[in-house]
Amino acid sequence: MITLQAAVTGALVGGLYALMAAGLSATWGVLRVINLAHFGLILIGAYLTYQVATSWGLDPIATLLVSAPALFVAGALLQGAYDRLGVAGFNSLLMSFGLLIVIIQIATNIWTADFQRIAPELNRYATGGLPLGRLILPTPALIAFSFAVVLIGGGYIALQRTFVGRGMRAFAEDRNVAAAFGIDHRRLGLLLGGLSGVSAAVAGMVFALSNSITPTTPYEWFGTVFAVVILGGVGNLLGTLVAGVGIGVLSGLVSVIWSPSTEPFMLFLAVILALLLRPQGLFRTAGAQ
Amino acid sequence: MSALGPMGRGLLGLLGTAVVLAMLGIFSEDLGLSQYLLVLVATILFWTTQATSWNLLSGFAGYFSFGQGAYVAVGAYSTAVLTGRHGVNFLYSIPVGAALGGLLALLIGMVAFRLRGLRGEIFALLTLAVPFILAAYARITDWVDGGQGTTIPLPNYPEWIADFQHLMFLLNLAVATLAVGLALGVHRSRLGRGLAAIHDAEDAAEVLGVPTFRYKMMAIVLGGVLGGAGGAIFALQIGFVAVESVFNLTIPLFVIIMSVLGGRTHWLGPVIGATLIVTLQDRLAAGGLSAWSAIIFGGLLALLVVAASDGLYSRVRANPWPTLGAGVGVAAVVLVTGTVETVTALLYGMLAATAVAIGAGLLRPARASAASASDASTMDDEALPRPTPVPASEGPLVACEGVSRYFGGVRALEDVSLTVDRGEIVGLVGANGSGKTTLVNLLCGAMRPTRGTIRIGGRPTAGTAAHRIAHAGVARTYQIPKPFASMTVHDNVAMAVMFGRDNARLPVARRVAARHLATVGLSRLADAYPSTLNLHQRQLLEMARAIAADPTVLLLDEALAGLSPAEIDDAVTVIRSIHDSGISIVIVEHLLRVVRGLATRVVVLDHGSVIADGEPAAVLSDPAVVAAYLGRQRA
Repeated sequence: MITLQAAVTGALVGGLYALMAAGLSATWGVLRVINLAHFGLILIGAYLTYQVATSWGLDPIATLLVSAPALFVAGALLQGAYDRLGVAGFNSLLMSFGLLIVIIQIATNIWTADFQRIAPELNRYATGGLPLGRLILPTPALIAFSFAVVLIGGGYIALQRTFVGRGMRAFAEDRNVAAAFGIDHRRLGLLLGGLSGVSAAVAGMVFALSNSITPTTPYEWFGTVFAVVILGGVGNLLGTLVAGVGIGVLSGLVSVIWSPSTEPFMLFLAVILALLLRPQGLFRTAGAQ
Repeated sequence: MSALGPMGRGLLGLLGTAVVLAMLGIFSEDLGLSQYLLVLVATILFWTTQATSWNLLSGFAGYFSFGQGAYVAVGAYSTAVLTGRHGVNFLYSIPVGAALGGLLALLIGMVAFRLRGLRGEIFALLTLAVPFILAAYARITDWVDGGQGTTIPLPNYPEWIADFQHLMFLLNLAVATLAVGLALGVHRSRLGRGLAAIHDAEDAAEVLGVPTFRYKMMAIVLGGVLGGAGGAIFALQIGFVAVESVFNLTIPLFVIIMSVLGGRTHWLGPVIGATLIVTLQDRLAAGGLSAWSAIIFGGLLALLVVAASDGLYSRVRANPWPTLGAGVGVAAVVLVTGTVETVTALLYGMLAATAVAIGAGLLRPARASAASASDASTMDDEALPRPTPVPASEGPLVACEGVSRYFGGVRALEDVSLTVDRGEIVGLVGANGSGKTTLVNLLCGAMRPTRGTIRIGGRPTAGTAAHRIAHAGVARTYQIPKPFASMTVHDNVAMAVMFGRDNARLPVARRVAARHLATVGLSRLADAYPSTLNLHQRQLLEMARAIAADPTVLLLDEALAGLSPAEIDDAVTVIRSIHDSGISIVIVEHLLRVVRGLATRVVVLDHGSVIADGEPAAVLSDPAVVAAYLGRQRA
């Protein structure tokens, strides 16, 4: 029973991993930008939720009204800069590492290095849950999962059905051919960067609902999130969702069967397995550039 | 010119610098040098060790690591556990730290470099995860840390060392000298050449005979050893080792910035970077701007990627006098007119020099080509090693028996048997996707067959690395040329001589290379860089490099694709002369005119199977071949 509960909770928490990974995976897959600064955007999203909820007494989910547009602009500007400077692939990893450090230091200067958490009286989502038979679906995890399904599912449908989405897929397949057929990579990049900014806002909000925030928190996400991105297949949104849930179940089970402290090792193992089993999942396009 | 080579001069300069620094340190009180300066230089030396350790793999071979903190932490915890908890003399914990750092590097390398198709980005992400895993382990493991941290008592030291800071200075100096000396040795050796080739084009390096896996392992382990030794001393310096103090992203950030700023391809680069960054950080702290230093350094890294990714060393090298002049001038002016400290003046000098070096590079981005005119052709040709005589064994040079290769469900090759005999030119033809390039990849060892055996000179190649197959006498060219971009045309070919069957040293290899360049008609471009060559010239460079490996069999993979008719005729002449020198050739080609003219035998592949093998004229008029090649409608 405890095991089943852990698996279900883990699956729901996996929604948060998927949310964090989705934006990263999309810009990596389509624009060839490995944007470590995305973790910084998630951090800023979490802090914005904390700040707006605390200062204005707004419902934590409603803080998205502030953080989503702000991070849309930030994400778009970031992609615009990468595109303008012609930074992609390995250089983007390096450059965004520098930017991540900058963002974390700015967050430290504003919010200090102490742990910050939304006060319980302002946050009605932190506790409680939805009973399902003898199982309980914890509210924050349920929220994470619902947002992940809506956002990632919506993104997937948009990619399949809309004109812009087809453009992005074409661009991911072969950027030169796509450009030759009149796809404007600059606008596409701005839009995709902005949308991944929005996903960062949502991921940050969900994280802030049930966790304390400190500027160095993003480092703890690295392992899990990259495992999700790679397992799911770079640029593959539905894959990200599946991988996120899978890893959530894995860490949930590991924490009850062994102990929570073994979790990082299992995740590290997951990364290595991801690399061993799915190296071809990286960069689906091959051949001439 | 002195009798010493560049390596000897470098080592002499390094040792001289180290001795002078040691003397200045030991007698600093008598010379009136401040303790503050001693600590600053010790910090520079610590970071020089770390940046150099990082640079061995990540700079020379191009596999960027975000995991430098892991080596520092392993070293630091060696001191914490041995010296801090069990009272072992620190002189023992430093080598233990070095050994454990090396061991960790070995493990990382064993996992990472065994992965097929490992990309630089994936290696970087993998190394990013390592320190966090180790941190989690340290936090929950009581005999290592357990979350409380460890205090390290002040170490004992001999009387001739004035105080603790002097001890730290001397220890850091010793390890930094060792690190830079090693980097210099690597840079000037076969290992360094091989790592540079891996950096430029790893696949091509492997099939030319560079043992890429072994070289990468050597670089990563050396880096781990140095990082661990530096970390063990770092623990003494900080006096209290806790998870937060040794596992943080400052270490990878700093070593990456230092090496990128200084220059990754030269051993001196990290030294320059460490000096500049540590001084800058020190001045920022003195100016009360500590909270901004991470922002400044993070921003600097982002900026460097865009503006000067090749680093200061090569920029200074290109404009030594203006740079030096600006540096010394500004430092002197600030020192004379201002009321600032000496270190601040020095920093201004360094920043001015940096600005001039980067600015000059931006204004004049064209690469100054190496001017040393090669007089290799006038050298005594008789002194050069002759091609290794082909062992007069019986039987075919290359033999495939029932070879199949599947990619997932795709059957690229199915039950292929063929031989290549001495003196032949085998034309390998077939429609696109018929498996020609896969066959070439199998023959040169870049891929392994799913089933079947391949024999080179009678010996089965199962489980043999591609560079060993190169040594057995198989060389290849790539349809899309893969030159070593950081080396001249001449050195591209010399690389192949060095790592081919002759195992020649660089000066000899350069002379042999000149002969091969003459064979393909590229002598006048010997000092050019590959980026300035056109496709035809790059293909000729591919051929020169391949024959420089001294093969018995040369695999030409669509070496004529995309060439103009005149260029094709030229290339055909070159191929003939290569064949006349005694090398058997397998040529993959679509142009039947060329195949008919050159080949002594033709093998036709269709959907992964051999459908014809024999005399060119007979095979090419075979109705089945015509059907497979031209399409069934026209047959």
